[in-house]
Amino acid sequence: MAIVGENGAGKTTLVRHANGLLKPTKGTVLVDGVDTRETTTATLSRKVGIAFQNPDHQLFSDSVENEVSFALRNFGFPQELISKRLDWALNFFGLEQYRKSSPLVLSGGEKKRLTLACILAWDPEVVVLDEPTVGQDSLQKEKLAQVFRMLQSTGKTIVIVSHDVEFLWPIQPRLLVMSGGKLVADGEISRIMEDRELLEGARVTQPQLLRLYSGLKSRPASPFLDVADARTWVGRGAG
Amino acid sequence: MYWLSGGFVFRRVVSPFHRLDPRVKLLVSIEFFVLSLLVPTVPAIALILFAILLVSAVAKSLRRIGRTIAFSGFFAAFIFAVNFLFGLGLFNAILYSFRFLAIISSTSLFFVTTSPDELEQIMKWMRVPRDVVFAFVTAVRFIPVVMLDAFQIMDAQKSRGLEFEKGNVVKRVRNMVPILIPLVVNSVIRSGELAEAMESRAYGSTPKPTSLYVMRMRWYDVAVALAGLLLLFVLTLYIYHFVSFGV
Amino acid sequence: MSAAASRLDQKRPIASVEGLSFRYPDSQKPAVKDVSLEIGEGEIVLLAGPSGCGKSTLLRCLNGLIPHMYPGNYSGSVSVGGLKVAETPMSTLSQSVGLLFQNPENQIFMFSVERDVAFGLQNLSVPREEMRSRVDEAMRLLGVSDLALRAPHELSDGQKQRAALAGVMAMRPKLIILDEPTSLLDPKTALEVVSLIERLNRELGITFIVVEHRLELLIPIADRLVVMDGGSKVMDGHPRDVLADPRVEGYGVSVPPVSRLYNALVKDGVRLPKVPKTPEEMAEELNAL
Repeated sequence: MAIVGENGAGKTTLVRHANGLLKPTKGTVLVDGVDTRETTTATLSRKVGIAFQNPDHQLFSDSVENEVSFALRNFGFPQELISKRLDWALNFFGLEQYRKSSPLVLSGGEKKRLTLACILAWDPEVVVLDEPTVGQDSLQKEKLAQVFRMLQSTGKTIVIVSHDVEFLWPIQPRLLVMSGGKLVADGEISRIMEDRELLEGARVTQPQLLRLYSGLKSRPASPFLDVADARTWVGRGAG
Repeated sequence: MYWLSGGFVFRRVVSPFHRLDPRVKLLVSIEFFVLSLLVPTVPAIALILFAILLVSAVAKSLRRIGRTIAFSGFFAAFIFAVNFLFGLGLFNAILYSFRFLAIISSTSLFFVTTSPDELEQIMKWMRVPRDVVFAFVTAVRFIPVVMLDAFQIMDAQKSRGLEFEKGNVVKRVRNMVPILIPLVVNSVIRSGELAEAMESRAYGSTPKPTSLYVMRMRWYDVAVALAGLLLLFVLTLYIYHFVSFGV
Repeated sequence: MSAAASRLDQKRPIASVEGLSFRYPDSQKPAVKDVSLEIGEGEIVLLAGPSGCGKSTLLRCLNGLIPHMYPGNYSGSVSVGGLKVAETPMSTLSQSVGLLFQNPENQIFMFSVERDVAFGLQNLSVPREEMRSRVDEAMRLLGVSDLALRAPHELSDGQKQRAALAGVMAMRPKLIILDEPTSLLDPKTALEVVSLIERLNRELGITFIVVEHRLELLIPIADRLVVMDGGSKVMDGHPRDVLADPRVEGYGVSVPPVSRLYNALVKDGVRLPKVPKTPEEMAEELNAL
């Protein structure tokens, strides 16, 4: 699931309710049937892991391995399990060679992966990514997309808060559009993204391939999901 | 936290008091401050407190100053208790605690009604070195930013299972580390970026930068300043007379 | 069409970099290796490249932070507006070239917008009346006049961006460098920044160098695309030409989907008349086929 909308539309506010950082003033938030007002963020975080946008707001340990085990220790994991999860996380995110290094000397892209490693280490059922692609160059985004595909294959529930429509488009998530604190759309990304008026109002842009699709006089039944799609179609048409 | 942000942060308001030259605002606050230290009786200090509240009302900041007093009530009560328990007498205990409230509220009055830009102008006028003035203004300007950083860091660490409310004193202090380190690191990074931006806009080219604003005393500034000084003078004489001849 | 393209006469270079190499003192490898570049007056130049390719270093060499604030192993020469950067003090340089950094928050020092816009002018000892009019002019150009007395923490990201840019504009530089101006903004606000750049370039003839990862935002207005990799300049030319060159995808640059599609189609033998800058252009061309 992806949540889009301009800065200040309420995306991050909404998502902070998922693990109890914010409690609703009206209405209820249930996580696995439990009302968030009746329990603590620490308990809820066990099930819902939020990876915040800025790695520099999280990293503090003297070594990468201590950084990753921080949450595991907070959650009371037994030492043996901590070692196992730590090994897995460092491996999955390609950070094994930095095990004993200070997290503060890693590059931007590596820090981002490290924050994800910290969250996935405790294996939450739901993973929330807050603006994962901001400030990343194309190589870093590629790595992120890879990690994301691997996450998808684990069957977890994934929520991405992002205004990077190009990154979201090939994923085809269920789309939530927020504007002015309200939810203005919830459904299929292809359908919602074709509604120009809605997007205008919410200040969301259309992905390039969709704009291309809309401009074509003759076109396939559904929009191109990636460059390869479009290429195949043109090849068939031209041939 | 709230006490600090409520009582000592400038708020932009249009009021006769705000319109005064910043130096006069400083003078008024100092006058209240000095008076509260000088007066020897409870009715007098109560009068001063009342006067401070009156001026706060003129400055349309009564609620703010009122809140400062309310939040400081805790410390004031503490001062009262200590003095009373150490046998200094009921009147002195009340006097000292009220004096504390008067000092705090007169200081609060100054900071609530004087913008950082005006503070900067006062410091320049007092010939404080350029770098010190700049450091001060920039520090004030970044207080809300650093506070926001702190909240975001706390959110991130709470989401990793960090619990602030639990544990004994030692544990709680240890729990501050995951907050303080990112805060300090971010501040250091920020300083580096600020330095680059400052250099790029020619900071340091001259020891005497010119100023966009200028402080100009108008008739009402002079009037208030003179009235205040006169009052202070008269009251000081009266107190001296009073103390010399006892009660 | 940018101010540069509409000039009939030959573009005068406003900045020229010749054989520039720079190595930071505590580093083994040079951050910038033998880079030569000429920027014509009125151009909008898009500078791209992966993290660590030397873009940030090059920018700082252009505005003087290198070598004045960051000394190191420096060879070659950089001149801006006829001034040799290494030999001119920052106070003079800042009136020819301005640099807007990535995070507007850390470029606004003062408690109110207008006071911050005046910052550079105060440092240059500009007299009060002139300062007042230049501050007002800069705020008007950037559309932040009604925010003059607001504190920076009361501004939105886009407003902060414009306020910081106003502070740079007040110095009246002929060349303005923007380091990833849109990275922290949402797409719509980013588009507004882009049209702002285009307008300032068109109305005032200011030359712009923009470092950007999201190429699709700047391509519609850029005259030139320069790609850097590993400290060297590897590609330099008109955006259409550079994007049509298949090598561009190998340099770790985020090539927009439409350009990637164009290159893929070329490989398939499908030749479009023009290299498309936007999806709408491409749709037109495909419709024509």
